[in-house]
Formats: sequence, C-alpha cells, structure tokens
Amino acid sequence: MNFAVRGFFSLFHLAVVFILWGAAYSQNASIGGFSFGQTLTYFLVMLVMQFFVGAFNEDYQISEEIRSGLINQFILKPINYFTYRFSIFAAARLVTGALILIPLLVAVPLLKDYLTLPNEAWRYLLLAPAMILSALIQFSIAYCFGMLTFWFLEIQGFVILSMAIESLLGGQMFPLDLLPPWIFHAAKFLPFYYQTYFPTAILTGRIEFAAAIQGFGIQLLWVLALLAVNQLLWTRGLRRHTAVGG
Amino acid sequence: MFRFDFFLWALVELFWMGVNLLLISVIYEHTDTIAGWSKYEMLLLVGTSLLVQRFLMGFFWSSLFEMGRNIKSGAFDFFLAQPGNILFMASTRKLDLDGLCNSLVAMGVVAYAAHRLNLHPSALDLLLYALMILCGLIIHYSMLVMTISLAFWITSAQGIEGSYFTLAEFSRLPREAFKGLASLLFVWLLPVVVVSNAPAQILLHGFQPTWVLALVAATLAWFATAVFVFHRGLRRYASASS
Repeated sequence: MNFAVRGFFSLFHLAVVFILWGAAYSQNASIGGFSFGQTLTYFLVMLVMQFFVGAFNEDYQISEEIRSGLINQFILKPINYFTYRFSIFAAARLVTGALILIPLLVAVPLLKDYLTLPNEAWRYLLLAPAMILSALIQFSIAYCFGMLTFWFLEIQGFVILSMAIESLLGGQMFPLDLLPPWIFHAAKFLPFYYQTYFPTAILTGRIEFAAAIQGFGIQLLWVLALLAVNQLLWTRGLRRHTAVGG
Repeated sequence: MFRFDFFLWALVELFWMGVNLLLISVIYEHTDTIAGWSKYEMLLLVGTSLLVQRFLMGFFWSSLFEMGRNIKSGAFDFFLAQPGNILFMASTRKLDLDGLCNSLVAMGVVAYAAHRLNLHPSALDLLLYALMILCGLIIHYSMLVMTISLAFWITSAQGIEGSYFTLAEFSRLPREAFKGLASLLFVWLLPVVVVSNAPAQILLHGFQPTWVLALVAATLAWFATAVFVFHRGLRRYASASS
C-alpha cells in the first residue's frame, strides 16, 4: 500500500520533470552538453535508483524503536543493532527494487524514444559496487538521524532539513553537473553526491572513467567515516539511554 | 526546547524554499526562457506559489494533519462535541509561527523579482493580487481537506498528506508549459496551475478578467466540494474504540 502510494507520487514527480525540462529544452537543443532524452533518462534512472538504494523511513523506525524501549532487548542479546537494522533495510530494498521494475516495464515502452544510455561496458561493471556503497551511505545517514532520538524528542525536523540538502546536493532536483563548476567540485567531496547521484551518473554517462575511479575512493572514505559516526553515536547514546518501563 | 523547535522548523522551510529557488537559477544558467518566461518572471511565479504554500502551512497544516490522525485514532470525538462548525473548529486549532515568518520571506522573493522586472503595480493590482492569493489559499486548503478526509474511508492510509506536496510542485510551472493531456489534467481538472499563475499574471501583465474569473470559479467549486466530501466522510466516522 505504501509502496503503491510512493510509486504513484513518483509518477507525478516525473510528469513535473517532463514538463519543466521539456519547456526548457524547447529553446535549446542541449543543456550542459546533454540532450532532452539524456536528461529525462537521468531523472528516470535517479527515481528507480532510489527504490533500490534509498532509505525511506528507516530513520523514523529506528527512532520509534529507541523511544518505545524496543532496543533494550538488543542491549541484552548478543545481536548487533546496526547489523540487525541493516539486514532489514537490505531486504526491504530488494523487494521495492524488484517491485519498481513492474511499473518500469510499462513506462519504458512509452518513453523509449527519449531514453538513451551509453554502452560502455565498464559503466555496467561499476554500477553494482557503486550502488552497494550508496545503499550503505543512505542507510548510515538514516541511522545517524535515528540515533539522534537519544538526545532529542523529535527527529522529524532534522530529517526534513537533511532531505532538502539531499535533494539539492544529491542531484534529485537537477543533474549536479549543471551547477556552477566550483559548487559541483565541492559537492563531490560531500556524502550526498554518493547517495544516488554517483551510481546514476555512472549509468547515464555523466561521469568519465577516471572521475568514476576517483569517486569510488571518496565514496569508500565516506562509508567508513559514517560507520564510525554510527558506532560513536550508538555508544554515546546508550550512555544517555534510560530504559523507560523496559 | 520549543524555541529550538521553532528555529529548526523555520530553517527547514527556509531550506526547502531555497531548494526551489536554486532550481530556477540553475536552469536559467543554461537557458534564457522557459515556455516564454524569463528568469525573474519565473522567480515571481515560484515566489507566489511558495507564498500560498507558506500561508497554508502557517494557518492550517498542523491542525489538518492532526485531524487525519484523530480520525484514525477516534480522538476526533472531541470536535464533534464542540458547539460550532466542525470543520472550522478542527482546522483552526493551531497556528504555526514559523510558516507565517517564512511567508514574509516568500513575499520578499516576489518583491525582489518584481523589482528586477521593473514592475510598478498599482494599488488595485496589489489588492487583486492579495485577493488571488486568498483564493489560492482556499483552493489549497480545500485540496488538503479532501485528501485528509480520505482517512474517513481508508483508515490505513499513511502519508496521503504527501500527495499535497506532489501536486504543489505543479504550481511552480508556468501555464504555457502544459500541453495536451497535461494541460487538461493540471490546468482544467486540478486547479494547481491556476492558483499560482493567476496572481502572477496580475503583477506581470495587469488585470486580466479571464484569469481572475477562472480562479474565483475554481475557488468556489473546490471549497464546496471539500465541504461536501468532508461531511460525507463525517457520516462514515464511527469513533473507533470508544
């Protein structure tokens, strides 16, 4: 049910993208060196990518488990809470990823005149590792926000604030390479770039081989850094945690 | 804690407005017009759409959001027992100051765009603009009431409020960009495009009877439908568990 609602919204979002960029392209054959078809492909891949690697409400779920005291059992049992939550996340993404392929089968024949993907082999080889690391970054960020529950009553404000930053620097509003060069360059060093934009750029041909390899290095560093922050927040948080009514 | 909350949410809204404005400025780095609209005309349109949205957030959002939850939990009984119009009482419970503060920012955006376009609207134009904004607010309110009223029928629906934001995205696009089926759906069937385009047109090109009439008609129709849907839903309300 929630998946259907999400999918339905995505369709409308795609319509907005189509109308806005269609109007912009009616004046220009190419924007930032890319055709309308390539831009549309970008947004479609971006959307599908989110169903494969995106964290939707993991932060709220974790927050809820902390507040309700459900995490107490993980303190007592020899199960790592991060691993437990991550396996749930991974399973959920496999399901939503598979489900999104169904509406995609309907959409692709309709849009096939617009869709263009480059056909270099390395792009397809690097896609899977980039997606796995992206999923780790997505989940780690959500986990961090969940951990904030130890200090704050409500995390919704933080989550929606970060959604704004993510939608901008993660490339959901527009392809990041359209940004002025210095901002684009700075964005490459932020984790948001690696949430969905990086694998999307690899697949849609918006990044070259050398830059992709360099990207992997930064992406890996962010994964490690975020995992460390997760661990820190968890141990610090537990110290503040008073198992109410547990 | 509450003061912190206020600043946090004010910041959240400010950021989201910033995202929308940045989208415009980035696209216009690469093109001069979108559907015949220049950069600052587009800014005026987006500012107008944000203004309506901020008013909705400030005056009604929290109360309506809560109404949805109350309908599901059965706590809506409280409103039924009150002497007064139920819809009115339920939708004016809370005032969000952060939304209202940010409406000033949205007004600033509109004023800045108008300044860059060298517009000098007359007092009458400004009055009409305010009236159109009010109509827009009523339409957005009606759409939100209808979406929330779905909770009377589908108690398991989560996140239907989100559909409002998706629809609001359309109101940041110029009318001329809609063609064919999209035009039929979003300009004529759903009033999302008229809501922002009608007031923006007044500032840009002065009083145009067709736009004003279209918006006033849409306002009346949507408000009436919303009230109707809400009351039909109310009849289904079974006050869970009490």
